[in-house]
Amino acid sequence: MSFAPAPKPKPTSTLQPYPDAVRSSLSAAMCLQNFASQVVERHNKPEVEVRGDEELLMNPVVVSRSDKESVLIEGSVNALRVSIQIKQADMIEEILCKKFMGFMMMRAENFVVLRRKPVPGYDVSFLITNFHTEQMYKHKLVDFVIQFMTDIDKEISDMKLTVNARARICAESFLSQF
Amino acid sequence: MILLEVENRILSEVLSSRASETEEIAPVDMTVADFDGTMYHVSNPEGDATKVLVSISVPFFHQLQQFDVDSFMKGIYGDMVTSPESGYDFSLLVDISKLGANPEVTISNVARLRRNCFAAVFTKFFQMQKDGKMDSIVLNYKEKETMFINAMKDRVTVIFSTLFTDKDDIVIGKVFMKAFQDVRGRNPSAPQVLFGHAKDVPRELEGTSALTGDNVGYVTFVLFPRHISDDKMDHTIDLIHTFRDYLHYHIKCSKAYLHQRMRARTSSLLKVLNRARPDAEKEKKTATGRTFVRK
Repeated sequence: MSFAPAPKPKPTSTLQPYPDAVRSSLSAAMCLQNFASQVVERHNKPEVEVRGDEELLMNPVVVSRSDKESVLIEGSVNALRVSIQIKQADMIEEILCKKFMGFMMMRAENFVVLRRKPVPGYDVSFLITNFHTEQMYKHKLVDFVIQFMTDIDKEISDMKLTVNARARICAESFLSQF
Repeated sequence: MILLEVENRILSEVLSSRASETEEIAPVDMTVADFDGTMYHVSNPEGDATKVLVSISVPFFHQLQQFDVDSFMKGIYGDMVTSPESGYDFSLLVDISKLGANPEVTISNVARLRRNCFAAVFTKFFQMQKDGKMDSIVLNYKEKETMFINAMKDRVTVIFSTLFTDKDDIVIGKVFMKAFQDVRGRNPSAPQVLFGHAKDVPRELEGTSALTGDNVGYVTFVLFPRHISDDKMDHTIDLIHTFRDYLHYHIKCSKAYLHQRMRARTSSLLKVLNRARPDAEKEKKTATGRTFVRK
């Protein structure tokens, strides 16, 4: 009897369930319709932000990979809010994340769906309204959020590596002079 | 460029361009800044373009007086030394027509004026160590920041107290200082480097006027006799006195690099978002190139 080597798992397989879970929850929450304010005539506001009426809000969902990494999805009848908590293992990742998100949120008007301030407890938030889903493909909006999450994670760990590498090279070239 | 230059590039270019001038020498009057609040003033006294007066102002010059800086400078610059220009600490009068047998060396010496101010202190302390004397000094080499030099029986320690004005700088600074400490093991000839931050003030600094506080990093270099022997001494001084600027320069560089990366990543994410917008209805053409509008 021969033992065939076990098939190699895909390199991303351990991380895959998390974005997958976010993707399906997000696609489900992306069910938005035009809904005018019930309080003020001729106003149309994202109900998830106004929180005027309990019956217009969905139950929020938290998808989390660990206590440091999670996504909060809050739905309502005409808008949905996605908040991302990005993994920060140490001081350097913390400042990189803070700087990076600050940098993005300063450019929020270009990003259309990006919220200028994150929801407390999270690092970055998106606000997707029914007007966005009418103008853009819903599945591509979901793709964007997923790609955003994975790219930021990758970028932050890359940046951390380059800072470390740079520090090492600087120290080496200085000390090798002696 | 990884390492910083010891000479002041502007000074050396001003002088060497004048030294190689075959026609009339242009007059000069300029103020040049260098690291840590050092200022140079380059001018022609009494309008004579062949004579260049180089004056330097360094924040810690008054502290050098006790180390007999004047005779130290005389030893290097000889009769170029003149009485200091008002508002500056030390002046050299360089006669372009009489640069001596080796003009390049003379010019490079003048361009190392700032370095030689530091050298006045370091040579003194290195000599003390060799003579078996012990002493220490806190040098206020930059506004607020200090350098502590301590000659001991078997070694000389130099402790930099460097201030990080930005609180993000301190995190990146720590990564750098840690690297200095770690890498040292692979270069056995390099001096031992220790670092501390905020609360871990080196014990030597207790009871001195050296800068301590929350946003302060401490880097200690332990120089052994092999680093300060007569042939190695000059090189060691060159490196040690640029250390603070070297550290901060590279912290700034890595911040600039990170910023550049964030910019690139932001624009690539914007592209992904824009893909979510449906393309505008394009004008359709038939095979012959005629257009038609769908009604």
